[in-house]
Amino acid sequence: MKSTPLPLALALVASLTATTVARAAPTDADLVQMLKVVDDRQQNNGDYRSTAYLEQKERGKEDTAFEVSFFRRDADDKLMILFLKPKAEAGKGYLRLDKNLFFYDPTVGKWERRTERERIGGTGSNRQDFDESRLSVEYTPKFVGDEKLGKMDVTHLTLTAKDGVDVAYPSVDLFLDKATGNVLKRQDKALSGKLLRTTYYPKWSKLFSESKKADVYFPAEIRIFDEVEKGNSTLIVIKETDLRPLDANLFTKAWLESKSR
Amino acid sequence: MITLRIALNNLLASRRRTLFLGAALFFVTMLFVLLLALTAGVTDNLIRGATNISSGHVNIGGYYKSTPSDSQTVVLNVSQLKKEAKEALPDAERVIDRLRGWGKVISDKGTVQTGLNGIDLDDEGALLALLALAPAKDYIENPSNPEETKGSLDALKKPGTIMLFATQAKRLKVDVGDVVTLRTETLKGQSNTAEATVGAVVRDLGLLSSFASFVPKKTVAELYQFKPDVSGAVQIYLKDIKRSEAAMNELRAHLEKKGYAQLEHDGQPFFIKLLQTVPNEEWTGAKLDVTTWEDEASFLVQIITGLRAVSVFLVMLLAVVIVIGITNTMTIAVRERTREIGTLRAIGMNRGGILALFLLESLFLGVLAAGAGGLVGGAVAAGIDAGAVKVDVDAIRVVLLSNTLHLVPRIVDIVIAVVSLTAVSMIAAFFPALRAARITPVTAMQSAD
Repeated sequence: MKSTPLPLALALVASLTATTVARAAPTDADLVQMLKVVDDRQQNNGDYRSTAYLEQKERGKEDTAFEVSFFRRDADDKLMILFLKPKAEAGKGYLRLDKNLFFYDPTVGKWERRTERERIGGTGSNRQDFDESRLSVEYTPKFVGDEKLGKMDVTHLTLTAKDGVDVAYPSVDLFLDKATGNVLKRQDKALSGKLLRTTYYPKWSKLFSESKKADVYFPAEIRIFDEVEKGNSTLIVIKETDLRPLDANLFTKAWLESKSR
Repeated sequence: MITLRIALNNLLASRRRTLFLGAALFFVTMLFVLLLALTAGVTDNLIRGATNISSGHVNIGGYYKSTPSDSQTVVLNVSQLKKEAKEALPDAERVIDRLRGWGKVISDKGTVQTGLNGIDLDDEGALLALLALAPAKDYIENPSNPEETKGSLDALKKPGTIMLFATQAKRLKVDVGDVVTLRTETLKGQSNTAEATVGAVVRDLGLLSSFASFVPKKTVAELYQFKPDVSGAVQIYLKDIKRSEAAMNELRAHLEKKGYAQLEHDGQPFFIKLLQTVPNEEWTGAKLDVTTWEDEASFLVQIITGLRAVSVFLVMLLAVVIVIGITNTMTIAVRERTREIGTLRAIGMNRGGILALFLLESLFLGVLAAGAGGLVGGAVAAGIDAGAVKVDVDAIRVVLLSNTLHLVPRIVDIVIAVVSLTAVSMIAAFFPALRAARITPVTAMQSAD
């Protein structure tokens, strides 16, 4: 048997190691750029409107389901969520204005201030699940490794919340599809490090935006699993997305109130 | 004196009538005394529970808002605030502080949302005296030894432990030694968790048990990421609880003079303000909130108000029945005794004497029957209380604020019941007596023929 000369073997090993190391450890700037791509692909310079179906399963309770319309004006950081179904919930809604999230209940006719971490409609979803992606603004990324998520090749990052940023989860594990750059899985952790919830993004859709002059990506389906209260889960199905300009007066309390009159 | 003797003789002569009316007065008075004893017992439970579980006699609570929407129940510089409390209220017997957390306690099988009171066992002698370990049957399904109590109240000396009430342990399906997850948000609004071992399960104390669990201070401080000298509230215990409101006003004035920012007084429990009022106010930073135990237990005071209203309604309803009964019986008696009235009038008794005669009859009837009812009611209430009768219906426990029937028969309540029912008896007899007094001797003699 002919043996490989030692210097050549060493060179091969060194080259392979170097390649692996280079792949396994992108620079901080590369990582931030990765997050910026994720954010940028979901941002629309103009307006955004979608209808979403929310289903909440909670242990020991009956399943609940809602249909909501949500509206975004990314340039002004505005967000509105209007409950359409069931009838008992219709007319309720959330409005985000200047970093304040307000909740309106037409049955009492009152607006209440809520935290940014509010569980939307009591489900496992937060404002961030409906809002534009701000990962690069809110978190500092760290590379964990290239991994497999099922059959998919993914880049695994850990994100740590920046100081002074108002986020529900101080630590996040993010799994990005290497082929498309989309988020496939997200694990939100408590300050103690305990895993609180895992979110899967099995389907992504895109739509051409006239205002952005490029495609806008959005998850067509989000599945959230509570990792502490095992058995609790939330399904969000996003449909009928529209990127055309919205009414100028839409992001007002009066508009939301008018929907229940 | 003669009128008195005639009245007594009449009562004895009409034995059946006297027994019938007397029995009615006896039972209604007894019921009234029992209801008053029950209300006093519930009030007693409320004061004991509220002033040990969720509040001092007077409290310096506070809220910290990092943004207008984010509020937490926090007081800063707690050691200085304790000094201020002692300075403002020289009659304070005890000044302690507790951390006021609010979050989820999660087990593998259930979740409860409750107060996470961060306590230091060395300061909590009165609380420990109130709490008792719950037997296994109170929170475990089909336990092998139903009366067995596990754990120890001292378990809370160790960080990373929790003391639950039996109702909470039952909902969480946990036993002493099991580990639960505590979940809440830090002052900065970030989710945080801590693991805690169930160190003790204690007997329920009615509705209050749903709103409180006890955790070592260190665990709550870590959960919320509090800095040293930060707490939830300073709780002040006075020599005389009746001085709570006055003491609160004195303390508010003292703190205002010292330049502390305070919320306007709002007689609601702190958690209602935390969830509803404070987040809707625009300010940020820290503000103190001085309250009394009655403010913190105001949602329970409604139970007592309701219980009093039900007692009064029930007794009034029965009193109306008694009034109708006595009025009818007296009217018949006046008719039957027209001849006697005529004779008395003929031998010189004036109208006032006749009126007094009938009123004295009802007074004797009232004093004897209602008095006996009051005494027996008081004795029955004391007996029930001594028996510590257990209540198994949850809805009733909620109203009673206890798992056992606690009745406090007070002399003042017995006197109130006896006087009220005697007065009712006399009022009922007044119109027939007036009618009797108006009968002229001639009419009376004619009617007798």
